[in-house]
Amino acid sequence: MNLEILVLIIVVTALSGGALAAIFAGKKHRHALAWFFLSFWLGVIGPIGDFVLGQRDWVSPIVATIVGAVIGVVVVLVVPALPVQPDPVYPDGPKDEKDYLHCSKGFLSWALTLDHKRIGLMYLFGILFSLLVGGVFALLVRTELFFPGKTIVDQDMYNKFFTLHGAIMVFLVIIPGIPAALGNIIMPIQLGAPDVAFPRLNLASFYLWCSGAILLVLTIPFGGLDTGWTLYTPYSLESKTPVLVATMGVFLLGFSSIFTGLNFLVTIHKFRPQGMGWFQMPLNVWAIYATAIMQVLATPVLGITVLLLTVERFAHIGIFDPNLGGDPVLFQHFFWFYSHPAVYIMIIPGMGVVNELISTYAGKPIFGYRFIAYSSISLALLSFLVWGHHMFVSGQSRLANMVFSALTFTVAIPSAIKIFNWVATLYKADIRLKTGMIYGLAFLLLFTIGGLTGLFLGILSVDVHLHDTYFVVAHFHYVMMGSTLVAFLGALHHWWPKFTGRMYNEKIGQICAFGVFFGFNFTFMPQFVMGARGMPRRYWDYDPQYTIFHQLSTIGAFILGFSIFITVISLVASFWTGKKAPRNPWGGSSLEWQAPTPPPLYNFEKPPVLHELYNYDDLVEVEPDRWERKTPIEDEPEKADAIARKIGAVTDHTAGATQAERAAAMIHAKAEEVRAEHDVTESSKGKALDPKDLAADKAEAAKVAGAGEVMPTATAEQAKDEEAKNKDEGEKK
Amino acid sequence: MTTAHEEHGVEHDLGHHGSPFVQHHYDDAQHQFDSGKFGIWLFLAQEVLFFSALFVQYVLYRVHHSEIFNYAHKWLDVKFGATNTAVLIFSSLTAAWAVRCAQRNQRRGLIACIVITLLCACTFLGIKYLEYSHKVHEHILFGRYFDPCISPGNAELLTQNNECPGTKSTIDWDYGSEKAKTGCFEESKIDVDPNQPGVQADCAVAEITREKKTIEDQKTHKEVETWVEKSRRVIAARCPEPHLPEAGVAEHEQFPCWRPAYQPVVCPDLTDAEARRHGTAGRPQDGILVEYGDSAERGEDIVIDATCKAPAPATAQSIELLASNNGEHDLKEGQGAIHPIHIATEEDEFERASLGPPPEHTGMFLTIYFAMTGLHGIHVLFGIFVFTWLLMRSIKGHFTPEYFGPVDYAALYWHIVDIIWIFLFPLLYLIH
Repeated sequence: MNLEILVLIIVVTALSGGALAAIFAGKKHRHALAWFFLSFWLGVIGPIGDFVLGQRDWVSPIVATIVGAVIGVVVVLVVPALPVQPDPVYPDGPKDEKDYLHCSKGFLSWALTLDHKRIGLMYLFGILFSLLVGGVFALLVRTELFFPGKTIVDQDMYNKFFTLHGAIMVFLVIIPGIPAALGNIIMPIQLGAPDVAFPRLNLASFYLWCSGAILLVLTIPFGGLDTGWTLYTPYSLESKTPVLVATMGVFLLGFSSIFTGLNFLVTIHKFRPQGMGWFQMPLNVWAIYATAIMQVLATPVLGITVLLLTVERFAHIGIFDPNLGGDPVLFQHFFWFYSHPAVYIMIIPGMGVVNELISTYAGKPIFGYRFIAYSSISLALLSFLVWGHHMFVSGQSRLANMVFSALTFTVAIPSAIKIFNWVATLYKADIRLKTGMIYGLAFLLLFTIGGLTGLFLGILSVDVHLHDTYFVVAHFHYVMMGSTLVAFLGALHHWWPKFTGRMYNEKIGQICAFGVFFGFNFTFMPQFVMGARGMPRRYWDYDPQYTIFHQLSTIGAFILGFSIFITVISLVASFWTGKKAPRNPWGGSSLEWQAPTPPPLYNFEKPPVLHELYNYDDLVEVEPDRWERKTPIEDEPEKADAIARKIGAVTDHTAGATQAERAAAMIHAKAEEVRAEHDVTESSKGKALDPKDLAADKAEAAKVAGAGEVMPTATAEQAKDEEAKNKDEGEKK
Repeated sequence: MTTAHEEHGVEHDLGHHGSPFVQHHYDDAQHQFDSGKFGIWLFLAQEVLFFSALFVQYVLYRVHHSEIFNYAHKWLDVKFGATNTAVLIFSSLTAAWAVRCAQRNQRRGLIACIVITLLCACTFLGIKYLEYSHKVHEHILFGRYFDPCISPGNAELLTQNNECPGTKSTIDWDYGSEKAKTGCFEESKIDVDPNQPGVQADCAVAEITREKKTIEDQKTHKEVETWVEKSRRVIAARCPEPHLPEAGVAEHEQFPCWRPAYQPVVCPDLTDAEARRHGTAGRPQDGILVEYGDSAERGEDIVIDATCKAPAPATAQSIELLASNNGEHDLKEGQGAIHPIHIATEEDEFERASLGPPPEHTGMFLTIYFAMTGLHGIHVLFGIFVFTWLLMRSIKGHFTPEYFGPVDYAALYWHIVDIIWIFLFPLLYLIH
């Protein structure tokens, strides 16, 4: 067994076992025991596999077993000795019941949970762990390329490094990252739903993901995979590496993805609360909807393809084997029929998240809501028609090349619509540069670069030159990593307080966000240059003229890796060190910010009140990182008064009000009346309040009162904003 | 473990809506039913796409290699296929009827319908088993294992006549020459120089005995030797007048052998029947090459001997020796080869002329056949599990007019299984 791999396994085992034990163990010894077994087996199973399939080497399994056992024992001894923390009481947590993190205890209460937030959280940690593994491989690849020729490993090992980096990052991190993890946690709450439609299927998807992930990661101890993540035939039929293990893993991951998508589609169709029509859904939900369509319709093709590849590997049925009359290019067609939509499975949820980030931190309604919603759907549909652009030089017919090239350009339209709308949203906005927003802005820049360089590659003649060069590598990293992963990190920061109940460290978050942005550009900008100059991708050695670009790229990769590592550490550490989070730390307007922090088992204590989507007018920051609605929920009049006074909208009941305040109070009272007419009462909760009417009534009330000259600033601004907004909408129509 | 989880689960299970089967997070029974229905339709859409790759593949090969389909479809028995179609369509009816029974609260009818559906599904799989086992026996298999014993005229499978039981012919026909090749065992892709003197010989008749099958299974040295003995005796008994080669032929020249997996070594270069009739036919090659498996590089099959020697020029003496010594002759496996061959009759020649050799990569049809029907069969199997589960629940009386979702969903699933078969049947069995 290779020493590096052994060290890698031990380090990863120690990190994962220790970190997981520290996070989850806490109070009871049996947790520690469970993690002991986990660490132990992580340490042992790899070398055993290596022994069975590999080099018949006795020493390393014994060493690894001992190391694994020692780690396990340390975990068992140390973890119970850690100080026991009481269950935190969150100020904005659920009042009558415990939140979902504490509603039940024990390993099985997590392992067999049906709660979408717990499942999502388990996904999240699995994904972060995979990110760590995939990231280590990325850094190994970059390190190897620091000098021409051999730097740390030989060619075969290098092939395995980039294959595992690609396979793990694509199948285990990016595809499930936003939909399965954050989508699971957030999407049902954004819909105001108690859970996803099929909780058991959701748990089953998670376990399918785990099984697939274990199989995929098992290829490491089995000697590593060297086919490239695309598993192209005929090499994948001949490779001596454990292709079967990987294809079975991908098959299971595919079905995990299908069932998640199916679940989300049904949830979005059937669980919208009364009053929430299709165009009252947050755009994040739209994006997850578009993603789910692709997951359900494209992934089965990958499933059957890897299944055929699997059977081909051991039964030689000949479908993809040219020796037996099969067609290896057919594999490419099938593979990209899935994997091109998969590119959009990766990017569209990122776009959905960015809608929320930009709108929230700009405090402005999203510009062109319907266009963004439709563009998500049209991206999803167009994505099925462009797979051939991966195969311009694979012997497709000229006609096919031309058609696919033309269709590829159409994809730019919905993407550009989104970008323009986001920029328009940002125009003249009061932007708060929270960590989430930094990631949001980084997404805008990086996705623009990634998208536009995609157009270069869509041009047939240019593609011949650029195909299989670092230009392609840089392009898809700008899209997958620079866009999707950045959006993932932004989303993680944005919703972290909501689902963990803790605020992360804003300073570290911001610095790391800049680190990610600069590190990323450092890594991949030089790759555009060397790609255009002819550096082929996947090469272990290179001409000395490319040395400087490779070295810049490697330095950037380490900045990037370090930033992400610190980010994750900082986020995880906030479980202990973070401030308790309020319900609405960022001034978000969608339903999840109405739910307690962290939410209880079924998300809402009572049916949520629908407000106008992306309307931030009545949200005020009552203290740093704590936003509330100006006219808060009826059952807390004192609080309402306090906030009203704070923002200059005092009611009649407020003692010591000035003349101006009393005038404002009359307006406010009138508004209350109007609001009462729109009866947000017990009987009709969940029914949408039409805010346009409310605004009009308010304006009328202001006229009637003749209080225009004493109108409080906030109200005046608000009226102005509303006017502008109505105008905007009118224009849009 | 604490009961917290169970509490959680119970909440999901029993809910708060009165009916024990309406889960907690649904508004009411109708909401649950609608969600499930939408879910199962999405699942069916997914199923269609899951099969789509196979249909695409079918279309591609049908368009580009229709000769394969024309040639090979005759191995599928329309009777079996038609029966299965009828069985599945009938079971779809009973599945739909089961939904009706559940809706009308007819418990006995529901149970009866489910049982009939189950029986139909089992019948389907039973017939499929018959078809598959026949094909496995005949080596009418996919890709690399496609290796049936084809009569010279390709009109029939010789195994049925037990002419070369347990063995396989090769489909590697000599496409370069128009010359008809003879024999139950046709020319193999042995990598030899046809001009090599020893190889020029004709083959003798030999019948591979059933032992060969055993040998293939066991692959032990001992049995190989036994088989060598027996084969040699058979050859000795049946060998026609041997042809005496000219003098000065290089003997025992080593040359590498290559052939596809599981093909018996056959005469590398067959003279045609005419040559034999003119008395110029050769003699049996002495020695037996026992080689199993593919080329050695794959390393997946046991290769007893990857090389063979050019057989020594046979002489009358050596043949006599073979016959008389009855196994004493100094033969080692790996040296030379006995090439059992079926001598074509004139009738065979006629058949050949009318039908031609099997097209290249005929196994692809079987690949498609097995992939499509196999995947479909797995779905039928899964349907059996589902209907068994439904049977248990319906016996317990779970299904009522208010709660019959699972029956409905299972029936929908069964319909798509049925529909896929309705496409498979004509595409595979009824083509011309």
